[in-house]
Amino acid sequence: MNFSFTEEQLMFKEQVMRFATKEIVPRVQEHELKGEFDFQSFRKLGEFGILGLHFSEELGGSNADVVTSVLVGEALGEAGIDGGLTLAYGAHTFLCADTIFAHGTDTQRKKYIPKLASGEWIGCMGLTEPGAGSDVASLATKAEKRGDKYVLNGNKMFITNGPVSDVAVIYAKTGKDLKHAGISAFIVEKGAAGFSTGKNLIKMGVRSSHTSELIFEDCEIPEENLIGQEGAGFIMAMQTVEWDRSALLAPFIGGMTYVLKKCARFAKERYQFGRPIGEFQAIKHKLADMKIFIEAARSLCYRIAWCKDQGRPLNHLEAAVAKLFIGDWSLKPANDAMVLHGGYGYCHEYEVERYFRDSRLAPIGGGTSEIEKKIICKLI
Amino acid sequence: MDFDYSETQRDLSEKVKGVFDTDSEASFAKLESGDDDVIRIEVSKYLKTLGQVGYLTLGLENGKDTVGLVAAQESLATISPSLFLSVEVNARIFGRLIAVYGTADQKRKFLPGLKKGRVIGAVALSEGGMNIENNPLHTAGVPFDDGFLVTGEKNYVVNASIADWIAIAGKVKENIVFFLIKKGSEGLSIGQRLSTLGYNGTAISAISLENCPALSKYVIGPFEGEEPLKTIRTWENQILTAGSLGLMHRCYTTSLSYAKNHKSGNKPIIAYQEVGFKLAEMLTLLQTAQLLAYRAAWMAETKDRETSVVAYCAKVFCAESAEEIASQALQILGGHGYIGRNPAEEGYRNAKYLQIAGTSTDISRMKIADGVLQMD
Repeated sequence: MNFSFTEEQLMFKEQVMRFATKEIVPRVQEHELKGEFDFQSFRKLGEFGILGLHFSEELGGSNADVVTSVLVGEALGEAGIDGGLTLAYGAHTFLCADTIFAHGTDTQRKKYIPKLASGEWIGCMGLTEPGAGSDVASLATKAEKRGDKYVLNGNKMFITNGPVSDVAVIYAKTGKDLKHAGISAFIVEKGAAGFSTGKNLIKMGVRSSHTSELIFEDCEIPEENLIGQEGAGFIMAMQTVEWDRSALLAPFIGGMTYVLKKCARFAKERYQFGRPIGEFQAIKHKLADMKIFIEAARSLCYRIAWCKDQGRPLNHLEAAVAKLFIGDWSLKPANDAMVLHGGYGYCHEYEVERYFRDSRLAPIGGGTSEIEKKIICKLI
Repeated sequence: MDFDYSETQRDLSEKVKGVFDTDSEASFAKLESGDDDVIRIEVSKYLKTLGQVGYLTLGLENGKDTVGLVAAQESLATISPSLFLSVEVNARIFGRLIAVYGTADQKRKFLPGLKKGRVIGAVALSEGGMNIENNPLHTAGVPFDDGFLVTGEKNYVVNASIADWIAIAGKVKENIVFFLIKKGSEGLSIGQRLSTLGYNGTAISAISLENCPALSKYVIGPFEGEEPLKTIRTWENQILTAGSLGLMHRCYTTSLSYAKNHKSGNKPIIAYQEVGFKLAEMLTLLQTAQLLAYRAAWMAETKDRETSVVAYCAKVFCAESAEEIASQALQILGGHGYIGRNPAEEGYRNAKYLQIAGTSTDISRMKIADGVLQMD
């Protein structure tokens, strides 16, 4: 066993942190408070190369390995970027673009990946529906083949980047009576006739990412927008889940490190009863618990990334374990961070309340903790 | 990065398992019920076979193949927690003390026997309380002839009553030294085996020394400062961290197999979310703890400035997860688990030791926080 990063990976992490601290973090508070998507920051992530990091160079990427991609996610959180922007990045790069990159035809890849990698286009992915969440086989969105077109009908729900996206990867049933084997993936572009998005949903956290319903009413798309074969969609969705449970979790861990540094600073500067509160054991315990969570969570994330780099497919058990731990066990330290700041912690200015709200998504998005337990149960 | 065990590591873990057979359970029972002679015979028997597979040489050199060490320890701790504790104190504390701090002559005298499992050693650190962090040592030696006369009281000494040699931490003037005292030495008296909540198969007792002679050639040190005591604490913590992994492993596998085989309402109880989800949480804690413990061990081979903080994190997380998993195991096993000599009830009792021995979880948290407060 070896838990080291390469020099190159660590240097790149430093670069990402410097870039994020200078270019993006100063804009975070304002957008988060207003619940506005920060187009400028998103585009800057693209220009820096983060949005297409693991794609091949001829498609505008840097050919990075998965471990590096996860490390970048951690760095973004650690620099102090909010969960909204990192979620928008995750949904864009891993749930949307990566599916086209991994399963699309050359034509599809050439058409979409460079613009997604640069951030010129924003991507989203639609799997969940108002009536179908964890139970993927019960999808009701239909795609019917008519001549050289597919006609989509149905609604998608809680779609990150929905209202701001230019490209959507949509899962729909092509085989009426088939369960998982009847699911196919399609590319739908903004402006397609019969495709509209619902209003931006007001959320508890990750507020700078926009989330909405996607509505398909006799939405016609060319047949060449099918990704891979008919019926292959479920496997693709499962592969994105791996990203969901590694790269998308990394910003939560990085974010906790950011928050922990803030807590350490506060504990040293805040005096009560004649001494810094960091000298009180109860405060020290909170700091320690946050640190323990971070150290425990990190390897879980990188294990999935490393397995993926080794070409081991679909690490369901490892992914579910990581998702369950980071989701459920992050709640207490996130709460501790807020409590440690007292009344200040409850105020927006101190950022810990934002982290508290953002981190509440971890046990919900991309498979709830209960679903992770169900998966683990099935595999043991 | 590499998250796999190496072939050598896997091989050694298999060899450790191979030391035990179906008769071993009877031996483990004797560890609990037997007198000192019986325990000595059983521990010696396994020390010899563990020595043959190379278990006892691990970790004698500081900072080498620390991951392989944890992998082997996890295997042994899964099989017999009490034997594990006894063997570890012998090999990884007494043995290492000599390997790292001993003179060339001491190494020549002790190490060959220790590696083959022919010598049992103990190390006496604690005095009044288990915590040596905040309490200066009172045990002291005064020069006499070619050596010292040692006087003091030591408590919670693992292996004391079965040891051939005991290393006593004490002072000569202001300096810390370790007096190596042979069993039966004049002035050395070993107390009754303590009745304990857990690790009932490990012989733990108090000892007292009154003008007990220690020859100069059997003294390690003197040392300026507390460094050796702190280092021994990190060894101890490492053992307890690995022991926690074994405990969790043992409780988890026992509950998993019970949940698959025990039926209720015509289906195995694992099919009920109440049981299945508990197992999912247990496995999540176990795997998280393993990764953290292995990473902490691996860091000991590096020069990372967070090595010690992460080791404390591993100690706290593993020891507390062990109690949680044992508790869940008891819940799943119900009445079966509550009956004596079941891995669940035994694990539940043992778990507390892991939290209070070595650097207690409370003091560990203080040390982690000290590291955090220096972060920026």
